[in-house]
Amino acid sequence: MNMNLTMKAQSSLKKKFLGFIKEYMILVAIVILALVTAIAEPRFLSLENMTNIMRQFGPLIMVSLGMTFVIIGGFIDLSVTGIVSLVAVVTLSLIEPLGQIPALLIGLALGAICGLLTSTIIISCGALTQAEALFITFGMSTVYGAIALIYTGGETNHLSWVTRDTSLFKAIGQGNVGFISVSFLIFLVVLAILWVFQNKTYMGRAISLTGGNKTAAWLTGININRCIRTIYVICGFMTALGAIVLFSRVTTASPVLGKGYETNAILSVVVGGTSLAGGKGSVLRTVLGVLLVTLLSNCLNMLEVSAYMQVVLRGAILIAAIWLDSTRHR
Amino acid sequence: MIKSVVSIITKQKAFLAVVVMFIIMLFFPTNFYTQYNLLDMLNSASILMIIAFGVTFTLIGGACDLSVGGNMVLAGIIVVKLLEHLPIWASILIAVALGGIIGLVNGYLSVYHKTEPFIITLGMGTLLTGIAQQITDAHPVPCRNMAFMRIANSQILNVVPTLVVIMLAVLLFTYWLLRFTQFGRNLYAVGGDYEVAKYSGINVRRTKAIAFVLSGIFAALGGILLASKLNTGASTYGDTTALEVNCGVVVGGTSFAGGIGGIPQSAIGMLVFAVLENAMNMLNIDAYVQMLFKGIVIVAIIWLDCYTRKRKREAV
Repeated sequence: MNMNLTMKAQSSLKKKFLGFIKEYMILVAIVILALVTAIAEPRFLSLENMTNIMRQFGPLIMVSLGMTFVIIGGFIDLSVTGIVSLVAVVTLSLIEPLGQIPALLIGLALGAICGLLTSTIIISCGALTQAEALFITFGMSTVYGAIALIYTGGETNHLSWVTRDTSLFKAIGQGNVGFISVSFLIFLVVLAILWVFQNKTYMGRAISLTGGNKTAAWLTGININRCIRTIYVICGFMTALGAIVLFSRVTTASPVLGKGYETNAILSVVVGGTSLAGGKGSVLRTVLGVLLVTLLSNCLNMLEVSAYMQVVLRGAILIAAIWLDSTRHR
Repeated sequence: MIKSVVSIITKQKAFLAVVVMFIIMLFFPTNFYTQYNLLDMLNSASILMIIAFGVTFTLIGGACDLSVGGNMVLAGIIVVKLLEHLPIWASILIAVALGGIIGLVNGYLSVYHKTEPFIITLGMGTLLTGIAQQITDAHPVPCRNMAFMRIANSQILNVVPTLVVIMLAVLLFTYWLLRFTQFGRNLYAVGGDYEVAKYSGINVRRTKAIAFVLSGIFAALGGILLASKLNTGASTYGDTTALEVNCGVVVGGTSFAGGIGGIPQSAIGMLVFAVLENAMNMLNIDAYVQMLFKGIVIVAIIWLDCYTRKRKREAV
């Protein structure tokens, strides 16, 4: 009798373990990837490389965290490309006349305003599907990108050309606390805030509900428009933060800086396991997704795989992840 | 009477936009209204139009295809590379077949595995662009075959560009396919209501998958013609092609909800961008400002489209 019970417990434990593996396939993928690279190239485990990975991690994770909310809410945001470029060029150009702290704040506000504008357009025409949002945000991305190009005349600005104090941006881009980079610390703080927002506040839960079923959410008395506005403002703000981390790291701000960020952010969110159907997902999953994408590019660089091959692999992983996702839900 | 006129206009927003642009150009002393310019405008829009006709199938089927950009550049590069070893017809055939196979993969994954088509094709587009960059090292590949170059750079009767003729042929063929064949009618049914179509005995999966194959084939054809026109195969053209083409089709009036739309609408939708670009070039507008206008036009037309649907929803 007793033995029977233990066996039962064991089998349920096994089931749980398998379920965990299935649920967190990505974690397994990350571990395998790290192991293989570490064996093939021991330099991978050096402290220097770890700091390097943390730096590469910075910009994409910010944009992806914002994108997570948009996708959980059942929408999509391609305008991050334009917002990254616009915020980067505007912020950098404002350091000279206004000083670094006002420039930083204006940059962040600009991102949020862009998000607000996008959401206003979406709400005013009553777009409720992902496809409608896809095309509207693509148009907005073109608009923001064009404004960035017009603003700079197509030229690239360098952080080192600024004559005033830029210590703040230097710290974000290159600073370390111990062996942890400053951008990583910012990420930890932001992640904590967003996690609490998603799981412990009314708005966070309302967003999940809206993404799951808009009609049901509306009938429960949730203000859907407010949810849409919130997710796009969060996404805009986080994208602005990502833009600032990015141009601080590369020390230049070109008006096409954000190219490719929309695909990479969506890729990271989806690979992390947040469902594109909306309603399901978490910021923590996105962290895993970005970790995989960043590690992958770091590992492939270490193994001296060409940059183009990496693009191929990224596309293949995106397809595989969605495929797996669809088999899991069947 | 007035009401019906208004409803016709609101239904044909893209056509209205084209007419408005033509009227505006009347007030400016430019070379816009010359035979050469109008033909040139059609000529440069032809390639994207051909791709758009293919994409129309997927949109009517209730999906979309964002891999056409990658498909286009890859086909162009493949055909240029193959021309060194094979005759023209064989190279073109292989490149088109490859486009069809890519479409088949898209269709298989998104129809048979029920994945979100736009994200699958987005991933496929990234993958194909990566392959194109890998096999060319991201450098343009020049083509030395003059006969191939002449396909897209010649005129029939010394007036009409061949490209326009090819585009019109594709237009007629795809129009026939959608309007007068069983496949076309089934596709409208599948896009309109998947479940109803399924219970009416339509092979919904196959119909939808064929739409993806067609989209792949015409994207490859567009890529081949682009390579012929520029006499090079390059991996850098297709960055925003997919979204622009899908947008153009939607702007024309093919709904992304599926089941509504058609080939002529797509032609007009793509024409909006072609006329806009040409008119702005004629008026010497800065390239970046042009981009801004293009973005605004996309947002405005899609906004109108969504807004009319919202009004309809609320009226019920």
